[in-house]
Amino acid sequence: MRQGEKLTTNLDWPLLITYFLFLIMGMATVYSTSLDPDHPNLFDYSQKYGKQVVWLGVSLFLGLMVFLIDSTIYRKFAVPIYISTLVLLVIVLFMPPINGARAWLQIGGFGIQPAEFAKTGTALLLARYISSLNIKQQNLNSVLVANAIMFVPMILILLQPDAGTFVVFTSFLFVMYREGLTYDPLVLKLVNMIPGVKFKQTWVGTHFIPIMFAIVFLCIVTLLLSNNIITFNFLPGVEIPGFFGVILSLVVFCLIAFLFLRFISTKRERRRISTVIIIAFVLSASIASSVNYLFQGLKKHQKDRIELFLGLREDPNGEDYNRNRAMAAVGSGGLAGKGYTNASVATIESNHVPESETDFIFCPFAEEWGFIGTFILIGMYMFMFLRIIMIAERQRSRFNRVYAYSVVMILFYHLAVNIGMNIGFAPVIGIPLPFFSYGGSSMMSFSMLMFILLKLDSQRSHVLQ
Amino acid sequence: MNFDARKYVIIVFIITVGIIYIVRLFFMQVIDDSWTLRAQEIAEKRKQIVPPRGAIFDRNGVKVVSNRTYYNLMFIEDEVKNLDTAAFAQVLGWSKDSIAIRFKEIIKEQGTYRDKNDNYKTKSNYQSDRPYAFIKEMTLEEIATIAPHLDKFPGFYEEITSMRSYTYPNGANIFGYLSEVNEEEINEDHFYRRSDNIGRAGIERFYEKELRGQKGIRYIVTSARNNELKPYMDGIYDTIAKQGPNFKLGIDILLQEYGEKLMNGKRGCIVAIEPSTGEILALVSSPTYDPNLMVGNRNIAKNYPKLILDKDMPLFPRPLAAEYPPGSIFKLLQSLIGLQEGVITPNSGFPCNKSMVGCHNHPSAGNLSDAIKFSCNPYYYAVTRRILQQGKKTSVFADAEIGLNKWYQYMMSFGLGQKFDADATGLRPGLIPNSAYYDKWYGHLRWAFSTIRSISIGQGEVKLTPLQMANIACIIANKGWYYTPHFVKSIGQKGSLLQFRIKHRSMIDSKHFDPIIEGMRRVVYVNGGTGGKAKINNEEKIIVCGKTGTVQNPQGEDHAVFTCFAPMDKPKIAIAVFIENAGFGGTWAAPTASLMIEKYLTRKVKDKEKEKRILEASFKK
Repeated sequence: MRQGEKLTTNLDWPLLITYFLFLIMGMATVYSTSLDPDHPNLFDYSQKYGKQVVWLGVSLFLGLMVFLIDSTIYRKFAVPIYISTLVLLVIVLFMPPINGARAWLQIGGFGIQPAEFAKTGTALLLARYISSLNIKQQNLNSVLVANAIMFVPMILILLQPDAGTFVVFTSFLFVMYREGLTYDPLVLKLVNMIPGVKFKQTWVGTHFIPIMFAIVFLCIVTLLLSNNIITFNFLPGVEIPGFFGVILSLVVFCLIAFLFLRFISTKRERRRISTVIIIAFVLSASIASSVNYLFQGLKKHQKDRIELFLGLREDPNGEDYNRNRAMAAVGSGGLAGKGYTNASVATIESNHVPESETDFIFCPFAEEWGFIGTFILIGMYMFMFLRIIMIAERQRSRFNRVYAYSVVMILFYHLAVNIGMNIGFAPVIGIPLPFFSYGGSSMMSFSMLMFILLKLDSQRSHVLQ
Repeated sequence: MNFDARKYVIIVFIITVGIIYIVRLFFMQVIDDSWTLRAQEIAEKRKQIVPPRGAIFDRNGVKVVSNRTYYNLMFIEDEVKNLDTAAFAQVLGWSKDSIAIRFKEIIKEQGTYRDKNDNYKTKSNYQSDRPYAFIKEMTLEEIATIAPHLDKFPGFYEEITSMRSYTYPNGANIFGYLSEVNEEEINEDHFYRRSDNIGRAGIERFYEKELRGQKGIRYIVTSARNNELKPYMDGIYDTIAKQGPNFKLGIDILLQEYGEKLMNGKRGCIVAIEPSTGEILALVSSPTYDPNLMVGNRNIAKNYPKLILDKDMPLFPRPLAAEYPPGSIFKLLQSLIGLQEGVITPNSGFPCNKSMVGCHNHPSAGNLSDAIKFSCNPYYYAVTRRILQQGKKTSVFADAEIGLNKWYQYMMSFGLGQKFDADATGLRPGLIPNSAYYDKWYGHLRWAFSTIRSISIGQGEVKLTPLQMANIACIIANKGWYYTPHFVKSIGQKGSLLQFRIKHRSMIDSKHFDPIIEGMRRVVYVNGGTGGKAKINNEEKIIVCGKTGTVQNPQGEDHAVFTCFAPMDKPKIAIAVFIENAGFGGTWAAPTASLMIEKYLTRKVKDKEKEKRILEASFKK
């Protein structure tokens, strides 16, 4: 820290305030869902909310520590931090399994999940590695190294097994994409093996990551909606076949994207943007159609499996039991919700939605606050993500930028998968909702991610890394 | 190379997902109701609170039908854990094996049910997460030995239920009984849930919708283990159960009790009606049964088979549903029609000519009142011939057709040949033949008075229910009109049903009733009258006007019938007594009626000799 600087110098207040708002909302929801009328004291340590208060205190203390340490330490110690998280990930594999996964390290009376901290370690090392490259070094080798940094902890996590965190690690692919580390060299190598072909760059290879994710997302949504008939209770008699609804939504999204991009793009780029959007529309419409067509052509038992996975069928004993109940809790919230502490489906006491204080914490929130609450919540997350991207883009240091993108993509993944499984858009894989879910490891690791980012940002003018 | 533009890909990606999620949430939470219903299905229990049925009081305010609390021992199979069968059997005082047998029985009960045609149907309805009664309808004493031990047997709990209780062991055929609803009834009326009770006969059935009250509904948040946690939304959607209103009957329960006592050992009925209102004061059907025998499904299972198999048919409401030839009491109506038609006058006399029909030995009646007094058969042949054959057509057959149809209209105006619109179930219409009826038997224009003459004296095809017989006495007492006989005086704050407040007029002018009433007085009070035994205390303070009847019975001993009203000047009670196989009407039916009148008007019976004679008589074989 330089002389004469205060802790709050260059601090990004909007992000910090949003973070604190999430803490308050999350704490309130944990309190509501696990409220024991005999122990209404928020600070009752025997209750989950009492414990969560402790976790919050610990997290904020760690955050303060982060602020007291000069930010250069994260670059310097990225490798030891990464390696120590890997060591923890290995150690945890020899622990007794809890709920079928070897994810917990017992230290004293507490259990911590190394996988949560591995995200921070990986983000730091990836940032350090990418920032050490110059443009010319971004070849097949560097792509493989960056992928290795990502895949080693991923594989260890899959061994636990923890499918949720495994999926979250793929968020680093977007970070690499942003930094120009794509699978293009790999694709080029394969394509150029064909005699007579000599590409310098392939569009598919370059944009492989977002395209893949867009396709997966589109397929899921198409399958979810294609069998439905969309009806409106305020427009009786109007029935829209689900597949038509998908195409209609695509048209609307393309128009919105077009207008948005027009607004931010230069005149020169507009033609290109129009072409890209038209191609994107045609591609996605044809993907949706073929998914729809293929699905209808499947045999019954194959259809059943897919429908079960997507939660279109109720499987009372399987995972879908949870999701169906979670969706009932969310959907029953209505416009304005049932009122704070009035949730009837998603509480620990009623236990219709299991894990309603951790992985399914969106349920009690949505049930109690209704659409107004969920709209504000998602809006706040969107604001936070865009704010972090803004912060990322204002960094002079590439290390800081890579790290910031890692943070935003990790948080975004958590949001998308966690809420997705509450609204039937994602299979049930247990990952916490950032800053909301009960649990020490996730709270501490998200807070550390956030405070390191804030610290790096506050010292952005110091270093030219 | 500059990759800055790629930030837009990421931004668009994030925003797109955000928008899709918000749209999806808008659909799920605001537009689509199905998730709300699903949540209710999952987390809420609608608990119905079945209120006690309305209480029933007699005309003097005596509570005759009330409710008592009973206890069901309920269980939910999914919550029963590690049941210690031996200990449980010991608590219940059962054998160890019978516990398992009972569980099987419950599943079987839910698997089969009886529809309204009494056919057994099979359909498996048993669900292990639903409550069922392990033991039904235990008394407080019975549950008291079990309840303290229930906490050792998770999954079992007690539940309060309300059942009928009858102050007097009388009036079973008036009140009817309750039993569990069947599948059809549940489907027809969504008020009912499995194991609810429904009125099966009598007032309980007729006034089911009023008596049952309004169910209350409590919405309770339940856990995944089906525990009840708290009222849903602090109970703002709950509704309170409302007991059915109090019913007040026209029945005088003490008179009813007395009537049933008098009819003990006899088959037959007594119907007593207040002529000025049409309220039924007593409706005795004999033999009868104690209504407490049919309270609760345990009792019904035990007693119903016995009652239904009894050859004397105690469940059969004779006063409403038994159709008998009226015998000589029919002569009262023939007289009235004759007078109204102008074919006779009060001073008409006909010789007691026994050429066509037998008669007992009495002097020829010189006027109408004496004809009633003597109950002269040939006299009424002559009267009825004049009514039917008025000479309006030259063909005797065509003439009889016109006459009979006219006569039929009169009879209909007395409420005969049709079901009363009364508040009872199982009513029968009786039978009054018209031309169409005889055309079917003999062919069109193939019959005349001589063919059908036995209807003159209330024999042959004519059939009346005892309720109709009593109503004839009402019409005469009122000199020409009647209210539909009914049980219920008032329902809660409301009066009786509208249909009981409409005066029905017969086609007879009131002036024609005087000679008839005089004749009925002579039946009881003048020497040679057939109903001398109907005198009360041999005094003439309460003048009884009556008419005896002896119904010829080809199967055995004749039936005795007596219909009357009293006092003569201001009639307060009209009665019909019908005793099967008791022979001459004046011997048994008349004194029974007089005892009823005395009991009702003076609240006590002085003539113990007469009472004892009736009580000891038995005409059952």
